[in-house]
Amino acid sequence: MTTVELETIGSAEESAILLEARDVTKQFEGLVANREIDFSIPRHSIVSIIGPNGAGKTTFFNQLSGIYHPTSGQITLDEVDITNLAPHQVAQLGVARTYQNIRLFQNMTVLANVMVGRHVRSSGAWFAAVFGLPGIVREEEAIRRRSYELLELVGLRRRVAHELAKNLPYGDQRRLEVARALASDPVLLLLDEPTAGMNPRETRRMTEFIGRLRHDLHLTILLIEHDMKVVMGVSERITVLDYGEKIAEGTPEEIRANPRVIEAYLGKQATA
Amino acid sequence: MAQLRRATVIGLVVGIVMLYLAGVGLIGAFANREVVTEYLSLGQLMLLAPLLLGGYAMARQAASVIQRLAIGAMAGGMGGAVFALGILAVLALSPGIRDVFIRINENLLSFVLFGLDPGPGALLIVGLGLGLGLVGASLPVVPPSVRRGLLSGVAGVILMSMLEPFVRPRLTDFDLHDVVVFLYQARGLRPVAALVVFAVSALLGLGWRPARAEVSRRFAEADPGAQRMWRWVAALLVIAFIVTLPQLTGVFLTQVLVLVGLYVLLGLGLNIVVGYAGLLDLGYVAFYAVGAYFTALLTSPTSSLGIGLNFWVALPLVVLGSAMIGLFIGAPVLRLRGDYLAIVTLGFGEIARVLFLSDALAPWFGGVQGILSIPDIIGEGTYALPLLGEIRGPAATYYPLVGFCLVAAFVAWRLKYSRTGRAWNAMREDEDVAQATGVNIVNYKLLAFAMGAAIGCLGGAIFATHLESVFPGTFNVLVSITVLAVVILGGMGSIPGVVLGSFALIGLPELLREFAEFKLLVYGGVLVLMMILRPEGFVPDVTRRRELHEAEEGEEDEGDDGDENLTPRDATQPAPIQA
Repeated sequence: MTTVELETIGSAEESAILLEARDVTKQFEGLVANREIDFSIPRHSIVSIIGPNGAGKTTFFNQLSGIYHPTSGQITLDEVDITNLAPHQVAQLGVARTYQNIRLFQNMTVLANVMVGRHVRSSGAWFAAVFGLPGIVREEEAIRRRSYELLELVGLRRRVAHELAKNLPYGDQRRLEVARALASDPVLLLLDEPTAGMNPRETRRMTEFIGRLRHDLHLTILLIEHDMKVVMGVSERITVLDYGEKIAEGTPEEIRANPRVIEAYLGKQATA
Repeated sequence: MAQLRRATVIGLVVGIVMLYLAGVGLIGAFANREVVTEYLSLGQLMLLAPLLLGGYAMARQAASVIQRLAIGAMAGGMGGAVFALGILAVLALSPGIRDVFIRINENLLSFVLFGLDPGPGALLIVGLGLGLGLVGASLPVVPPSVRRGLLSGVAGVILMSMLEPFVRPRLTDFDLHDVVVFLYQARGLRPVAALVVFAVSALLGLGWRPARAEVSRRFAEADPGAQRMWRWVAALLVIAFIVTLPQLTGVFLTQVLVLVGLYVLLGLGLNIVVGYAGLLDLGYVAFYAVGAYFTALLTSPTSSLGIGLNFWVALPLVVLGSAMIGLFIGAPVLRLRGDYLAIVTLGFGEIARVLFLSDALAPWFGGVQGILSIPDIIGEGTYALPLLGEIRGPAATYYPLVGFCLVAAFVAWRLKYSRTGRAWNAMREDEDVAQATGVNIVNYKLLAFAMGAAIGCLGGAIFATHLESVFPGTFNVLVSITVLAVVILGGMGSIPGVVLGSFALIGLPELLREFAEFKLLVYGGVLVLMMILRPEGFVPDVTRRRELHEAEEGEEDEGDDGDENLTPRDATQPAPIQA
């Protein structure tokens, strides 16, 4: 594995809590997608949000990455208020994400996808590119080198670097999404159902990989899953959403035993 | 059975296409444009080509060779029969109804029936259909290299005969009268000359690929110093060719080249907006108009400003002003996507034209009268160049125009492979994800519009000085559509594609005067065909190859030896989640 310089944000470097959401409510017209959710992610931890389909997980996720803005409540990253920042500003601060239904830049090459991920950690302006200023050549070289490293890290071969992203097999597309997210040197990585559509073996590999990522890159990771089994092994803490509300929070063991969670997942009969 | 049904369908389509071409008058218009004098005219080629293509289309599906040939011939014969029946049916109509098909007159009938009576003529057409279908069906059996040779041979013959009005006077100018006599008789090629031209073009077509492969192999084997030298030599040769082109081609073709060059400039600009950033702009003519009018205002002594600046002094102001207009148009459409963006920009394009036309603004822009007496780019329209001597006429515009095109292409090329270009591409692919990846959508959209405007206005500036006047009528929506067609035909996001697209859509029609009234019809047909057969364009975007900066050292595509040095770490690479 290659060494990675960790991007640190702000001066409040080592506070124990990296991200905190307070009282976050998101309302679409009449529908309340998230109701008064309090949530926090400790630094260097792997935390999961689970819940049945339609529980409001992705909505919550989208607010963390700036795609939606909460109707009320506050979200802070390293004590910086990011509640109403635009997605590109949130990305700049070190939040990177993947998508439930893979969203790559389909008609760009594998390498270019990762290079775009590097956008926020580079600064070359258009006129510098046009005039070929010395700085830009070096920066491009650095972006390219780093992108190759990341492709290698997620297990994509160098020879696919110049394929179009859309031509990759499904599993490789998932990995490429992770590589693109990692390219921005994130402090917080948001993974939206990273094992969706994978068979049990691939799923196990992916969860192992997520655990290693945290360790090797000093990342903090937030996972979304609707399949409880996936997150039990890797997460330190699990938050359960149902109908837009937080119904439980705790260690995997606590969540497994929690009657409300069992009810939400299996229906009332199961608890009776 | 399924094959037979397909042959029937293709035959019907072929026959209907032939009837359509005859009915709209295309075949009649080209009936007298001879390719090989007394033997073959362009009209006949057009009439018969669908039969050949029908056979070709059939044969790609069938299983055995015999089946192929039979079914291809059937499709061709069927096409000929449908056409013959259609023509006979028109003949049988009462004169009152026949007048509806004004293009199907006695002349056309005798042309398509090869001067024979209806009965024998129809039989001949069916026979030709069978034969050509058979030939078309046998094409896929022929090795691809031979097919390429045949194709380039035919293309060479057609091109040489089409170029007759330009080649003949030029050859005479250069005292090559004997060559003229050998090549041409009336407007077409002599049969013997046609054979020679065919042979030469076919050989060129056959030899092209092997020669290119050999050259690139030798180039790859050469040491870096020699490589650099050969690259310079190639660049110098290309430049020398571009520079001497007006001397070789003469005044009329230079005029055509200027027109093509204008569209290259416009295409390069629009390519940034549509091809790179994915913003479908149907009002691109606005920037062309703005460039032309700003230049006119600043340089013409009779304009409302009346300051009569030198062109080169005015140019930076024009570019800056147009970029501002680009931002101005870009700002309100930031939130719009896809079709909505297209409709709004279409509106902006028309607004620009109407504003320049309006009486209210006539004190500034001259309304219908436009702005006149715009000075030339350099001197008084004539200037001397070293080695080339006195430059006048369209060539005087040609040289600065080529310079602008090169600059625009360079800028477009540099941007394409930069952080900016990647951000644009990401935006084109998925705006939301691009933003979540950190691309500031607002800035990059505005930048794309400003860049597109800055390059497009160069075209306008040159256009204004070339005509020495501007009128609002020039800047209609057809310009926007044509530029877009150039970009799409060449291949979205591809710089060589824009050049090729301009030559195909702007240059070729100028060579065929008879073509003028069918131009838009053919544009439409070509675009539809392109979208079905080759949606990525003639010269697809080759980002992938350029990204391999290792490619500069030689091989790029697959091939295991090439890959070895690309993947030194392959063996030790961890495969964390390898499936």
